[in-house]
Amino acid sequence: MTFLAPWAAWFLAGIPVIVLLYLLKVKRRQIPVSTLMFWQRVLQENRQRALFHRLRNLLSLLLHLLIFLLILTALAKPTLDAFLAAGSDTVLIVDTRARMQAVEDDGESRFDRARRLAAPYVSQANRRSQVALIFAGAAADVAVPFTGDVKPLEAALKAASATDATGNLDSAVHLAQTLLSSRKGRHRIVVLTSTPRSDTQPVVYLDSANAAYEPAVSYAFTGTARDNVAITRFSTRPLLNSPQTSEVLLEIRNFGTAPVKGNVELSLDGRRLEIKPFEIEAGGRKLDFFPILPRTERSARGWLKAQLDTADALPLDNTAYALVPTPQPARLLLVTKGNWFLEKLLAADLQLRFELLTPDAFTLPMAEKFDAVLFDNVLPAEFAFGKTAGNFLFFKQTPFTASGPSLEQPILTEIDNQHPLLRLVDLQNLTIVRASPMRLPSEAPEWTFQTPLRAFDEPVLIAGSRRTTTPPGEQRVVALGFDVAESDLPLRIAFPLLISNAVHWLAHESTPLPRSISTGETLALDPGQNVSTEPETDFPAKPGAMARAFFQPSRQGYYRLDPPAPGGANWVAVNMFSEAESDLRATATQVAATTPTAVAMPMMQRPLWQYLAIAALLLSTMEWFLFHRRRTE
Amino acid sequence: MDTATTSPIFDSAFLSKLEQLYLLSRKLFRGEHRAERKSKQLGSSLEFADYRNYSGGDDLRMVDWNIYGRLDRLVVKLFEQEQDLHIDFLIDASASMRWPETSDGSPSKLDAACRIAASLAYIGLANLDRVNLHWFGSSLQGDMGLSRGKSQFHKVLEFLRRVPESPGQTDLRTTCQTFARRIKRRGLVFVLSDLFDPGGYEEALGLLRHNQFELHVVQVLDPSELRPRMTGDLRLVEGESGMAFDVTANESLLRRYHEEIDLFIKDLGAFCLKRGIGYAQASTAIPFEDLVLKVLRDGRIIQ
Repeated sequence: MTFLAPWAAWFLAGIPVIVLLYLLKVKRRQIPVSTLMFWQRVLQENRQRALFHRLRNLLSLLLHLLIFLLILTALAKPTLDAFLAAGSDTVLIVDTRARMQAVEDDGESRFDRARRLAAPYVSQANRRSQVALIFAGAAADVAVPFTGDVKPLEAALKAASATDATGNLDSAVHLAQTLLSSRKGRHRIVVLTSTPRSDTQPVVYLDSANAAYEPAVSYAFTGTARDNVAITRFSTRPLLNSPQTSEVLLEIRNFGTAPVKGNVELSLDGRRLEIKPFEIEAGGRKLDFFPILPRTERSARGWLKAQLDTADALPLDNTAYALVPTPQPARLLLVTKGNWFLEKLLAADLQLRFELLTPDAFTLPMAEKFDAVLFDNVLPAEFAFGKTAGNFLFFKQTPFTASGPSLEQPILTEIDNQHPLLRLVDLQNLTIVRASPMRLPSEAPEWTFQTPLRAFDEPVLIAGSRRTTTPPGEQRVVALGFDVAESDLPLRIAFPLLISNAVHWLAHESTPLPRSISTGETLALDPGQNVSTEPETDFPAKPGAMARAFFQPSRQGYYRLDPPAPGGANWVAVNMFSEAESDLRATATQVAATTPTAVAMPMMQRPLWQYLAIAALLLSTMEWFLFHRRRTE
Repeated sequence: MDTATTSPIFDSAFLSKLEQLYLLSRKLFRGEHRAERKSKQLGSSLEFADYRNYSGGDDLRMVDWNIYGRLDRLVVKLFEQEQDLHIDFLIDASASMRWPETSDGSPSKLDAACRIAASLAYIGLANLDRVNLHWFGSSLQGDMGLSRGKSQFHKVLEFLRRVPESPGQTDLRTTCQTFARRIKRRGLVFVLSDLFDPGGYEEALGLLRHNQFELHVVQVLDPSELRPRMTGDLRLVEGESGMAFDVTANESLLRRYHEEIDLFIKDLGAFCLKRGIGYAQASTAIPFEDLVLKVLRDGRIIQ
């Protein structure tokens, strides 16, 4: 036995004081009586038992001394040498992977059981026998470094919960070995998990120089084989032939020993879309594809959620999250003195929302409030490249217009159909009465200009762009060097296509593909970009979900990127989708032969000093009782 | 008599109670007992008893001449001789009788004994018996002197007010021996005491019984000595001897004390019953009227 607080031995000096106090005569209360005759008779019998009387006195003294010694021993915090030798510097690895959320037959989750099993190890922590706590989730995380203080260990255990992430225990075991390698004495590693390590390779011990060094890796298993049904794949993508429509992929697997029937409910932005029945044989899977047309409101988020109605051991994988692309209508401002063709054309496009303004009412700061500004034969006097914010489309009067004679009936000789502005646009044999001569500016080096439409050496259509830092993004400008009314372009199918291509290109209208990642996967963030859970989500927001530079979600659900990445979606769907986590059929009993012996529960649930203190309290109570019964003096 | 002690026990309230007691006693004695006690001896009273033949030496004045005239025989008339009864009260004045020593006016055992003695003496005087009172402690301390008639009751009260201050430790045997030697006339003897004599009471009471005294014992006790409640580390000091005794009183010890004193009382009762001695236990907690009428009647001391 080792005393962790040997300073308590100084209190042994109090024993003579107790004996001295005990030997002091009791000041008796003087009571007059009529006769002592009967008292003498009564006490005569007691005197005959004088030996017992003396023994009673001795018993009283011994009781006091025993109580005092018990308190002193408790203060000295004794610890059994056997436990010290076996448990010096223990690393406790608690599995927090998604599989630990599985509920056992008795209603207790595997993680709660692991936490209960961990409590006795934690309570044994002291200065000579320190304990470190590692949570093994998506990655091994040292929750509490080596400490002899029970409180932080208990607090960390109490605050912990099983994550939605998948991972590997090997990294946690190796991390534990790394922690132990620099420490003296005997070590051990205790792993509290529901299932054994996936591999059967023995752990490679780091301290090879010391042959006697073999930190025992003990496994305490908290799970039994359970049936489970899980959504293993759930994603969306826009159809090639109809970008407005998304195609949904849904895969459900039965990790059980019996066929299973159920329904999967699909909801979009909280509204139920469909309930699809399914029936899967034992160990089988069901794969389903179906189209879905998202709404186009500005408030639409595109949250597509699948929910199984089966009751199984792991509810976590009965829910899956995906995002449906939700193109947002571009906001345009048309500055014109009146152009019937353009107005009708812009009004016909459901993906556009435009406002009309006369040239006199327009000021350049207005441009920042719109995705693009269209100038019909108007050029603001104060417009300058690099100094004016916003995206612009110019007709006839452009910033590129050069001095000189206009081009009479120009013939289009170069048409770049690969350019986004001219996608699906057929401009063959286009008749233009007159076009303005345009030149690329030489005083705007940060701009990149392209001329997808040319009449010999004269550009007829110019597209320019430049990267901006405040706000981060890209500024674009398009200039068409003729008046559409002085051509037959409005009468062609190419006209709406050209204008639509130009407007959507200016408004950055390339519909971003939704992002979906797995729990535990690392997401790189742009500078200044934050990630947060949405308050309206139906899963608990995880504290610390705010991050910079890198974000590793440990919970399923939707996460918002703020601000969204250029050209990317502002929402990220996070799912587990792990066969290893959903398949609960692998248990310790099946691989018991290849795993180390299971950990035996410590015999004593509490530190020894607590038992001594309880014994002292009980003895004090007994002494109090005996004193009042006058059994002791 | 050593010293005089003024006692508040014989106040006007007490005397009025005695007057009631007298009336009650008259009621009790009506038709059963006369004021004068008959004796078995023949004497010279006016009450005719019997005839007997004349023998030489008889007083000729006692010859019934009418019988001689009719029957020609000499017979002598015999008359009953009326005798008064001697009643002696032995009152224990030892220190144990002055307990409990309280200042709240509650009576001590000696107070109770004096009241009982006064009551009984009053009844005796009212019935024209000869009454005498004696203090005792280690031995007989002094007596009142024979008195007869209600008019002598003031002597009783006066005597009871003069309690000897240092009567010594109770010694019943010596007391009774002295009493038997001193009192030749046999009669009623009341012993009023707690009988807490380490030497025992059996020999003393047996001695009086042996000397043809009709004996009544009134044991005066206080509830606090019957059922003491004090616990803890105590130093018990006896009033009589001044001896101290250290005890650690607990419930077990008190229980055994109760058993011991109950056994003492039970033995005393059995002893008196076996020998035809009247016995009554008087508690200071019992009201005076109840004490005299109920307790003494239950003990066949008065009828």
